[in-house]
Amino acid sequence: MTDLKFAGLDGVIILIAYAVIMLGIGWLAGRSDKTVNNSLSNYYLAGRNLGFVALFFTLYATQYSGNTIVGYAPSAYRTGLTWLQSISFMTIIIGIYLLFAPRMYVLGKKHNFITPSDWLSHRFKSKRVTILAIFLMLWGLGNYLLEQLVAIGHAVTSLTGGTIPYQVAVVGFILVMLAYEWMGGMRAVAFTDVMQGIVLMVGIVIFLIGAIYLAGGKIGTITESIADVDPGLVGVPDLTTSINWFSMLLLVGFGAAIYPHAVQRIFASKSERTLKKSFARMAWMPPITTGLVLFIGLIGIVVIPGLDTAGSEQLVGLLANEIAGINGFFYWVMIIFFGAIVAAIISTADSVLLSFSSIVSNDLYGKYINPDAPEKKKLMAGKIAGVAVISLLLWIAWNPPGTLYEIFVLKFELLVQVFPAFVLGIYWKKMSAKPVFWGMLLGAVVAGLMTWTGHKTVMGIHGGVIGLALNFLVAVVGSILVPSTEKDDEEVAAPALTRVPTQN
Amino acid sequence: MNSKTIKEPIRKKWIWIGLVLIVLANVPWYFPEGDIYPLVFGLPYWALIILISSLVLSGYLYWVTLTQWNLVEEEEEQEQREGGTAE
Repeated sequence: MTDLKFAGLDGVIILIAYAVIMLGIGWLAGRSDKTVNNSLSNYYLAGRNLGFVALFFTLYATQYSGNTIVGYAPSAYRTGLTWLQSISFMTIIIGIYLLFAPRMYVLGKKHNFITPSDWLSHRFKSKRVTILAIFLMLWGLGNYLLEQLVAIGHAVTSLTGGTIPYQVAVVGFILVMLAYEWMGGMRAVAFTDVMQGIVLMVGIVIFLIGAIYLAGGKIGTITESIADVDPGLVGVPDLTTSINWFSMLLLVGFGAAIYPHAVQRIFASKSERTLKKSFARMAWMPPITTGLVLFIGLIGIVVIPGLDTAGSEQLVGLLANEIAGINGFFYWVMIIFFGAIVAAIISTADSVLLSFSSIVSNDLYGKYINPDAPEKKKLMAGKIAGVAVISLLLWIAWNPPGTLYEIFVLKFELLVQVFPAFVLGIYWKKMSAKPVFWGMLLGAVVAGLMTWTGHKTVMGIHGGVIGLALNFLVAVVGSILVPSTEKDDEEVAAPALTRVPTQN
Repeated sequence: MNSKTIKEPIRKKWIWIGLVLIVLANVPWYFPEGDIYPLVFGLPYWALIILISSLVLSGYLYWVTLTQWNLVEEEEEQEQREGGTAE
């Protein structure tokens, strides 16, 4: 991101204010529950007692990151109206949730699941299925976290006009994040998400107002203005682009719904009604989040035409500079807005880190390394692993490997491979561990190799989606040929509920 | 405790048929490539249709989530009433 002309000391003040607020919320969250550090479900799932406001905002602030603004506006700038897909691919996530969340909520409550792999090991009772899934989830989460760390540094550096150097910015905010997370666990994450989510929502709206102000009279004729720059940006896209759009819907829909931190928010909900209300409201968030960002990107085409790919990545910074120059009001609003971007990135990073720690605590350490350890000790193992992984990722972020970099880009592609086991396993009694394992492995290898070798898409279809199709095929055909012989799986077809839903 | 009120989206085929139809309408594969005009409300007609279908998608999922999902809600609320405060 470009350095902001307006920023500097004022930016530093705003950032410190954000940091203090986050720490304060974390401290209050920890204080409100003295048992938070004694139990896995209290720490990682807020005692399974998140109410509507906290649950809704933690879903929102986790799903929408700083990248939603900083990365998506340039995408709109480069692809034009084709980026309308960002509205629907964020919406479809709720549709995918509906495939499994209702049942998973009940199962999670009944069996006290902490992580998604709890369900997998309960269902398949197969060490290799669980371990492969854990590996894919940790890999996906790790890369996701890496992305957020890099983004925090860029955002802070540009906000403070370089007053706070990149490394200091990243380390500073990581320490803040770790501090409030250690104090209050998921409760701290969710409560800070309320603040971070509101700031993000308001920030986008104000940024849009500034951009419209900048564009002046050109808004009414924006399509013509863009058509003058490049008619391809407003014309109907070609067939490959449409196929890619479908593929994107599948990849993001399946991938984002199955993110471990997304699944854990199902477990953390206080009640079914709370979960339903939160998801229902989330269905309306894409139009007013990615939809508005799309509009900002389109305005960018008119206001700052002619940027190349690298130049367009600076779009949000460039626009912010111009908007800050309008008057004193917009100057301060832009500083607060950039703080909002930092907040949005942190609100995603904290959830990802928490989820990462929970998988180490509950799955790796708690299931395989030291199953008899008291919960407090398991919790500590996860916290320490969180610090370790952050340190490792920082090292990678500052010394990016030249040739293997693509490996660190893989997230959805790998994570999404857990989907067939996780969701089909809920409803299909015959599904058995062996084909599930091979499907997952094959899907991950295909998706990984395609991305690694630079064939991210074939005919517009993402490697992750092709891997997922193969994965489904192997898991389904294999399970038909060699069905599960588990006797005690009466739970699968008619699970968990004290009453069995057999009719509409 | 009326079993007729139990609803689970996965068990209702029409929900998913509806979803697929909306998604099919949401991707501009059925318009002639490169088309821009006529403009409606300043937007190319095709983009407006895609935008509307995105809003339909949001509205549909909102409605399905609130009305077609009811597994343990009544039970939980009864427990809550009996237990005084929740959990």
